[in-house]
Amino acid sequence: MSEDRQKTRDGEVEEFAEEQASLWRITLSPLAWAAHFVICYGLVALSCAKGLPVESVRQGLIVFSVVVLALIGWIGWRAWRQWDVRETGDYLNQQGKAEDRHRFLGHAAFLLSIISFIGVVFVSLPLLLLEGCG
Amino acid sequence: MGARSGEYGSLRRVDGIGAPFFVLGLPLFLSACSGRQSALDVAGEDAAAISLLFWVMFGAACLLWVAMNGLFFFLSRIRPGQFPDRYVQPLLIGGGILLPTVLLAALLVWGLGLLPDQRAPGDGLRIKVTGEQWWWRVEYWPEGAEAPVVTANEIRMPVGERVEFLLGADKVIHSFWIPALGGKMDMFPGRETRVSLRAERTGVFRGQCAEFCGASHAWMAFETVVMEPDTFDAWLEAEAGDALMPVEGAATRGAALFLSQGCGACHTIRGTEAVGQVGPDLTHVGGRLSLGAGRMGVSTAGFTRWIGHTEALKPEVQMPSYDFLSTEELDDLAQYLVGLK
Ligand code: HEC
Ligand SMILES: [Cu+2]
Repeated sequence: MSEDRQKTRDGEVEEFAEEQASLWRITLSPLAWAAHFVICYGLVALSCAKGLPVESVRQGLIVFSVVVLALIGWIGWRAWRQWDVRETGDYLNQQGKAEDRHRFLGHAAFLLSIISFIGVVFVSLPLLLLEGCG
Repeated sequence: MGARSGEYGSLRRVDGIGAPFFVLGLPLFLSACSGRQSALDVAGEDAAAISLLFWVMFGAACLLWVAMNGLFFFLSRIRPGQFPDRYVQPLLIGGGILLPTVLLAALLVWGLGLLPDQRAPGDGLRIKVTGEQWWWRVEYWPEGAEAPVVTANEIRMPVGERVEFLLGADKVIHSFWIPALGGKMDMFPGRETRVSLRAERTGVFRGQCAEFCGASHAWMAFETVVMEPDTFDAWLEAEAGDALMPVEGAATRGAALFLSQGCGACHTIRGTEAVGQVGPDLTHVGGRLSLGAGRMGVSTAGFTRWIGHTEALKPEVQMPSYDFLSTEELDDLAQYLVGLK
């Protein structure tokens, strides 16, 4: 996958194999968001129901949130480079060629990373603003 | 509504088909803002925080509505034609992503910031409320108390003090809500939730169950009486005492009927043989402002109606209708109960 920026134009077959990875990659940010959501809600509910130390759980989840945000940031950065709009000046990549598919998937992954980042921030806010089980 | 009729005078010139509806609807709409069960007719610190949030959101929503429709009007009627390309990107990113994200984040932080206050520790008095189908079991725990003062279907609290409510439920989920004083809080069987309220002015405010809990959910309400601290203390002391003994004929006959008809299997009247726990404590039922958890006012006629037609007044209620009792018997019971101040 490291040859993202390498403009391989020598054969659809090779390119397509790489595109499968890229196709999978666009789901990474939303997956991280979903996992973060489930883990936060699940753990807090569990520790409140079972009387576990919710304060340590809260602090742990704050650290976890920062890690997830960094992960999404990194995925987003990679996607931004794959889109490479500054270099190519092509926003939409409508040509249907292998390179366009490649760049378009970068574009999609980049936008999905933005929304996932915002989602994770929103899910994390209660961790910062609320304490205890209520 | 009458007092507000002046408010639509200036709106008469609104044109179009919506105008009559608007003009007729507005006073109705506004009249809903005041009253003893309105979150906008604020009587407590917590309700004030919520209504400020509401008005800011409402104002912002109006602004947004005017801005969007203004823009639409401008682009479709005043300056139709091609929208300059260079504005597209900033408008999409600024108006479509940045602005909503920032606004929603700000509202989220504000809203979440209100929550800890709604659970702030109280000044001493704790009131334990249990949601039953379809009434409220109430226990007062003043600071340092070892046993509670048990009553039902009414909340009294001192003005200016933060009172902590410990909430629970019997069989199904209910929700405790006094809109004029603060936000609502769900009540769960087997789990204690908390909400704390600080009333800022005396008065009578209506509370209502805010979570569907069965056939008579809509009839599950209560009165909240906010009193001066002295008056409250005196009231609580009286409430802690046993029931008054009936003195004259009808009420004495009523007291005997109460026991012979088996009412005491479900109801407690302290100082008598009635110690039932199924239904509300009736020790001071005559001193309440409402009967049947907000179903109607307290009066002799009210008691007769309640005892004789319970199931008609509250669908699926657990108390049987005593429609087989004679009018005289019902009246005796009513005389007895109304005297339990
Ligand atoms: C099977 C149990 C049961 C019996 C027997 C019973 N009640 Fe009740 N009663 C209840 C329940 C439960 C309620 C609460 C109903 C509701 O509001 O949903 C209630 C409510 C009341 C109320 C209204 C209390 C308040 O706080 O507003 C009165 C008054 C009352 N009962 C009087 C009587 C009298 C008088 C009798 C006997 C003639 C009687 N009850 C017999 C269960 C019973
Ligand atoms: Cu209900």
